[in-house]
Order: sequence, then structure tokens, then C-alpha cells
Amino acid sequence: MKMLVPQPKLILAAGAGLLLLTGCATTVNTVERATPVGERQMVNDKRIITDSSLNRAVRIVGINETAGEFLKVQVELLNTTRSMKSFNYRFEWFDATGNQVYSPITTAISRQIEGGESIFISAVAPLATAKDFRIKLIESTR
Amino acid sequence: MKSPKPVQILWSLGFASFLISGCASPQATYVDPSGSRTITSVGNINIQDYANAADAMVGSLIEGVINAGKLESPGGQPAILAISRIVNNTSQHLDTDMLVKKIRVALNKTGKVQTTTTMGLGGQAEDPLAQGIRQQTEFFQDKKSTRLPDYSLSGKIIEQREQAGNVRQSSFIFQLSLTSKGGVAVWEEEKTITKQGKRSTVGF
Repeated sequence: MKMLVPQPKLILAAGAGLLLLTGCATTVNTVERATPVGERQMVNDKRIITDSSLNRAVRIVGINETAGEFLKVQVELLNTTRSMKSFNYRFEWFDATGNQVYSPITTAISRQIEGGESIFISAVAPLATAKDFRIKLIESTR
Repeated sequence: MKSPKPVQILWSLGFASFLISGCASPQATYVDPSGSRTITSVGNINIQDYANAADAMVGSLIEGVINAGKLESPGGQPAILAISRIVNNTSQHLDTDMLVKKIRVALNKTGKVQTTTTMGLGGQAEDPLAQGIRQQTEFFQDKKSTRLPDYSLSGKIIEQREQAGNVRQSSFIFQLSLTSKGGVAVWEEEKTITKQGKRSTVGF
């Protein structure tokens, strides 16, 4: 009977495949208070998902707001994959009549989220008249 | 074997060139300065970095001072802000107004803060004509009509560079302080922007 001897090329290919599969996967373990003291005022949201892979890596868990003269909004994001993901986000603000509020400081902000990690992004309305908001998430172009 | 017709060859060439060009941009094009397709370079403060820092600073100031009801001004009028020294401690020649003007505009739009252009560090006014008009008005009316600033804004931009192998990393630290008339820093903030790469790349 002929013995099957693994060829060096085969071993290398298997190793490379394994490396590709695992990638640079590193995930985050988290611990927090079982019953949080702070109670978030959650916002009912409407989502339009056009990039499902981004939605897996940067999943919107929930949005909460803090009322005040200037509205503060906080979004919880969760990476449901095992790999780090770079993305950009941008807040847009609207007044009570639905018109977009312009601010010179509104910009796309780059963030990274590790595999399995949960992060918060937040913004404060640039004007007291800003009553509504929209958050756009896009995969990093790099 | 049947040879392809010239029309088929032309179609194939056109399709191939379309595939090769892909999403490539033309040589010159407009991009949204607040979007995610601006050029990023590791060693420089890019336009989106100033906007990012200004966004963080204004958000912190609104949340920590204005929303908290700590902004003090006589008779509920907008507080008057004077711009003090913003030190550039980076290796680059940069115009600090790339940061400060964005903050000023954003604060002015809140209706809570206005910036004086006739008072500056060392008596240097941003608007000398307005300063002259103010001085002449005061001279002819024989009384001081100028309201002194309630706050002054000062700060520093610091750079920190690292290299490991062929990977370069630059950190730019933006520090700002808002000082009251009483000489107390009533608000302070720091925003660090760190970039890493081997060479300049497009995108964030």
C-alpha cells in the first residue's frame, strides 16, 4: 500500500488558507455592572441598510438621546464579526420644520471597532433649533 | 474556427477598459470636504482633522458649559469671547484659524457666544478698522462703550511622531482652554488624532 506523504506545497497552501481564514481576528471581552445605574432614554429608529457586510461589522444596537437646550444623541454599535473594522460616520441635524441645519464642524469621523466590541458614538446638536438627526455609516474607503 | 468580427473586438476592448478604469476618479474632481473621500496623509494635519477636532471641541463646550447653564454673561446677552494665543508646537507651518475659525463660527451660530474682533493679544485687533471706529466713537462720545470679553480662548497643538519598522505614526493633540474674566479655566478639552500608515493614502 502506498503511503500518502504530504507535499511541502500542500502544507504551505493549507497554512496560508488557515492564516487567511483567521486573518487578524481578535475579539474583545467585556464586563460591566449587571444592573446599570444610568437609564438610557431610547429612541425609536428607522434603519435603511444598503451594505449588509457593514451592518454585520458595525451593527446599530440602539440610539438614546438626552434632552436639553442642545440635543445630545448617543448610538451604540456592535461588531458581530471576529475582525476589526474601520468605518466612518456622520451626524446630520434637522430643525423642527425638517430642514437640514448647516454647521461648519459637521464632518465624517473615522472610527475602528474590534471584533465583538461594543462602542458608543455621540454628538451634540450644533444649534438649539436642531430637533432631529440622522446618522450615516460608511465603510472606510481605505 | 470563426474569427471575431471587428465590432465584437471593439465591444470587448471597451468593456475591458471600463473594467480596468473601475471606480477611478478623473484627474481633478470636487470632493465633499466633510465626506469620507478626502486625502489623508500620515505626517500632516488634514482638513478633516481640523473639522474633527473642532467638532469634538464644540460638542464638549456646548455639553459642558452651555447645556450645563454655566455660561455667564451680563443680562442674558451672548457671552463675548476673545481669542488668545493658540501655540503651534508641531513641525508644520499651519494656520491655527483652520481650527479656531470653525469653533468661532459654530459658537456664533449657537447664539450664545460672540467673538470680539477689536481686541486681541498684545493689542493686535483682528479687524483694525473696526478697532479704529470703536476708538473714535469712544473719543467723540467721551465714554467707554466697549464691553470687555467675558471669556478668552487659548490652546496648543502638539505633534508626536513614532516609527516601528516601515510603519509611521503621527499624533496631533489639540488642547483648548476657556478662561473666565476671573482667570479661571472654566472649560478645558483635549482631542488626539492619530494616523498610521506607510505612505499617503486616500480616504480616512
